[in-house]
Amino acid sequence: MAKPKIAFFKFSSCAGCQLSVLNIEPVLLDVLGAIDIRYFVMAKRENHEGPYDIGFVEGAVTSPKELLELKKIREECSVLVAMGTCACFGGLPSIKNYSGFSQKELEEKVYTELWDLKSFPAYGIDYYVKVDYYLRGCAIDLGELVTLIKSALKGINPRFRFHSVCNECKMKENVCLFLTKGKPCMGSVTAAGCGALCPSLNRPCEGCRGPASDCNAASLARSFVEDLGLSKADVVRKFRKYAGNTPEFSKGAEAV
Amino acid sequence: MPVEAFVLPKSELGSFVAKLKADYEVFGPVAKGPKFVFGPVEKAEDMRLDYDTTILPPKKYFHQPEQDLMNFSGVADIAEGKKPVGKRVIFGVHPCDVNGLLSLDKVFLGSYPDPYYKELRDNTVVIALNCVKPCEYGFCASFNTGPEADVGFDLSLTDIGDKFVVVIGSARGKEMAAGLAAAAVEDLVAGKRALRACQHDMTRRIDVGGDLGEFLHQNFDHPVWMEEKEKCLACGSCTAVCPTCYCFAVKDMVDLSLQKGGRTRMWDSCMFYEFSRVALDHIFMPDRTARLKQRMYHKLTYYQQQFNATGCVGCGRCVATCVKHIDPVDVINRIQENPLPAKEVTLYRPPVKIVHTKENPWEPQKAVIKAIKKQTADVNTYTFEFVDPQVRESYTYDNGVFNLISIFGIGESAISISSCADENTGTFDHTVRAVGNVTNALAKMQVGDVVGIRGPYGFGWPMEEMKGKNVLLVAGGIGLAPLRGVIKSIQKNRDQFGNFEILYGSRTPDGMLFTDEYEEWRKIPNTRLYLTVDYVPPGVEWGHNIGVVTTLFDKMTSRKENTIMITCGPDIMMKFVVLDLLKRGWSPEQLYVSLERRMSCGIKKCGNCQMGPVFVCQDGPVFKYADIMNLPGGVF
Ligand SMILES: Cc1cc2nc3c(=O)[nH]c(=O)nc-3n(C[C@H](O)[C@H](O)[C@H](O)COP(=O)(O)OP(=O)(O)OC[C@H]3O[C@@H](n4cnc5c(N)ncnc54)[C@H](O)[C@@H]3O)c2cc1C
Ligand code: SF4
Ligand code: SF4
Ligand code: SF4
Ligand code: FES
Repeated sequence: MAKPKIAFFKFSSCAGCQLSVLNIEPVLLDVLGAIDIRYFVMAKRENHEGPYDIGFVEGAVTSPKELLELKKIREECSVLVAMGTCACFGGLPSIKNYSGFSQKELEEKVYTELWDLKSFPAYGIDYYVKVDYYLRGCAIDLGELVTLIKSALKGINPRFRFHSVCNECKMKENVCLFLTKGKPCMGSVTAAGCGALCPSLNRPCEGCRGPASDCNAASLARSFVEDLGLSKADVVRKFRKYAGNTPEFSKGAEAV
Repeated sequence: MPVEAFVLPKSELGSFVAKLKADYEVFGPVAKGPKFVFGPVEKAEDMRLDYDTTILPPKKYFHQPEQDLMNFSGVADIAEGKKPVGKRVIFGVHPCDVNGLLSLDKVFLGSYPDPYYKELRDNTVVIALNCVKPCEYGFCASFNTGPEADVGFDLSLTDIGDKFVVVIGSARGKEMAAGLAAAAVEDLVAGKRALRACQHDMTRRIDVGGDLGEFLHQNFDHPVWMEEKEKCLACGSCTAVCPTCYCFAVKDMVDLSLQKGGRTRMWDSCMFYEFSRVALDHIFMPDRTARLKQRMYHKLTYYQQQFNATGCVGCGRCVATCVKHIDPVDVINRIQENPLPAKEVTLYRPPVKIVHTKENPWEPQKAVIKAIKKQTADVNTYTFEFVDPQVRESYTYDNGVFNLISIFGIGESAISISSCADENTGTFDHTVRAVGNVTNALAKMQVGDVVGIRGPYGFGWPMEEMKGKNVLLVAGGIGLAPLRGVIKSIQKNRDQFGNFEILYGSRTPDGMLFTDEYEEWRKIPNTRLYLTVDYVPPGVEWGHNIGVVTTLFDKMTSRKENTIMITCGPDIMMKFVVLDLLKRGWSPEQLYVSLERRMSCGIKKCGNCQMGPVFVCQDGPVFKYADIMNLPGGVF
């Protein structure tokens, strides 16, 4: 089998996910042996035109220019992967969608040169095109990335499971931050896959991997208010931070 | 039998543990922040024998969160690389957890004993620590699983102030107690008093004044469940910390060679949406209420029905860990305040079948593909032969049972045997639709390729029952595969059965299986074959019925008298087949259905195939409808 042709693209995002791709050094060399990275502006000087077998897209789409580019990418890639929470759900850029400001006001707040600027609310890429796989997280989990690449090479679906972070947290026998320390941890409604990274470091889960399957964000939101005394605004901020565009987390934001 | 009891002064605990350390790795309760966990112990002072409960139960040392089943190399070869299991002592196990292990033993050491669990269990000494103070959420006294452990330990300790009363539970324990002074009568009395006081102080309790299983079955539709569903986050913490939960998923992982890797099982939970996900993203338990009930009912009644063992040992961990404070004690109390009217209920009892295999039941046997026959665009029939002549010769099966087909590096799939049990030719057939990882990989294989196969599993069609009776066979789509053996058996032994009718439906004409065999089937004396499709595309010739399979009921000659109906197909089809026949006056006793659920083990361990108290893999997949029609959650 010829090595699959891989491409990495970036839209509105911090480039952190791409940077972490470069961080898989220990396995990168072996992975590189198995794949042919044809397009990766951040990592390579020489980049090639499509088509590609697998395209990894980082970042939310928030301008007409990005949208056109995304549609072209979809045509060029047999398999399209949303890489990171911005590409999956809109991520941090999507906070603006719920800021209460108009698009124009937002543009004026951030930029001084406005004549060439056209933007719209930030969404994940599957708002516009079909996505085959999702690598969630801010930033992505490298283990998942490698699993995805291996699965693609084997021609199988990695069948990621998006149950709660709590589950991974229990496996580590962490002391529960919510129940023991009263911290507003979102692990119970957030998709696992990070190995309960933040709670293991004594930091409450921020929900960066987006909603766990069939999660009950509204119920957690009520507990944030009733048990931990969070304000309504705090709760909204929590659920609109990374995946506010999703119907699941919207229910959390709208529950109180 | 008088108990053999000794005393261990607390001042000598250090040397006692030091002595253990010489021969064993020792684990015990240690502090983790304000909580406790079981962890490695260097010296007695590391332990906190005043602990209330631990985050995870000691189950983690036996049914480990991740357990490697085997290493592999290529699609069917098992590779070396088993890690040795050392001798261990788990010190200070509370009675609830001792009983939790006894319940797990029923799962892992009953039918198809699990060699991994067994090895860990055999190599581990359990030193119990009876409870002299109730823990915050415990309610073990409700189930007689505490505060004192009666069995299931090598030694048990009871704190009576400056010393422990030590009770011997096994020969191994007796050796360990060598050198301890015998307990005086007053020590024993002090121990009993302490335990009785603990029991007295335990205010949390489940007591419905009758059979808890019946009570729960009567209250399956109680409004409390909807209230709890609104709260429940579906986070699965409750099952992760439960000392009796056994459910797991199995996953193959490969290294970058893509050829070598390992098959591992890891804890899973019925609380998760994806727990019941099968190919094409069908989910059997999408509703959170159903999942929450599966958990509660499994703990409080199904487990007892399935294994004759306590499903809930009252450890209180699920309550302590739940952000929403969902609590079995509270739920039962609320139902008791306002129960639904009592009614007659029958609790499901599984067929008793204990299988002991000499070999590791997890290890697939190599089987070579002898022939491949295309049935439809995405369905092939594969003829397999075991590579090992001994396996080949000893392999027999019944019509309607299934194997697990294993392709290392990808996974395993439950597939019915589509050849005939009465034609023992040393080979057997599987008719497989390519829908996902394993089945697509199989579709790419060729004659001469080797896969792994283990089985056969489950109960098949009631061939004995059918003898002397008329047979009505109703199949839909791929569901004809497990019924093909029945057709051939009837053909072979024609005089043993009465009138025989086959009703077969498919979505479209080109989706029909075994089309080249229909002529032969029609030639079987006193046999009729009726075909139907949902839809005929323009330009396709079709001389048979159009409509769902039940529309054939008006055309068939089969009548309910002295007839057995057997059916396999999509759930929705079987549902209407059963409902329609019941409406026509057929009895649930004469209807047999073959069910499908997610399956990861086939041997009553992974819990994936559970449908209420039923294990589809081992209690089925073929069921007499009468046996399952009263399941609290329904069948279809
Ligand atoms: C008792 C029984 C008999 C069956 N007989 C046949 C048959 O004769 N022919 C046939 O084509 N199919 C049959 N199936 C369905 C078959 O098991 C699935 O289509 C198959 O497991 C899909 O696996 P996959 O890896 O290709 O799909 P994926 O979607 O990639 O599934 C991944 C894993 O999920 C599990 N899984 C997925 N779907 C199912 C399912 N429907 N049932 C149980 N586990 C599943 C398996 O562990 C599988 O390896 C049967 C299922 C059961 C339970
Ligand atoms: S721990 Fe509580 S919230 Fe989480 S799944 Fe269990 S019952 Fe539901
Ligand atoms: S159901 Fe809850 S109380 Fe019962 S054994 Fe499991 S964790 Fe303990
Ligand atoms: S089915 Fe039972 S054993 Fe399995 S996870 Fe649910 S409660 Fe636990
Ligand atoms: S218990 Fe594992 S498949 Fe039935």
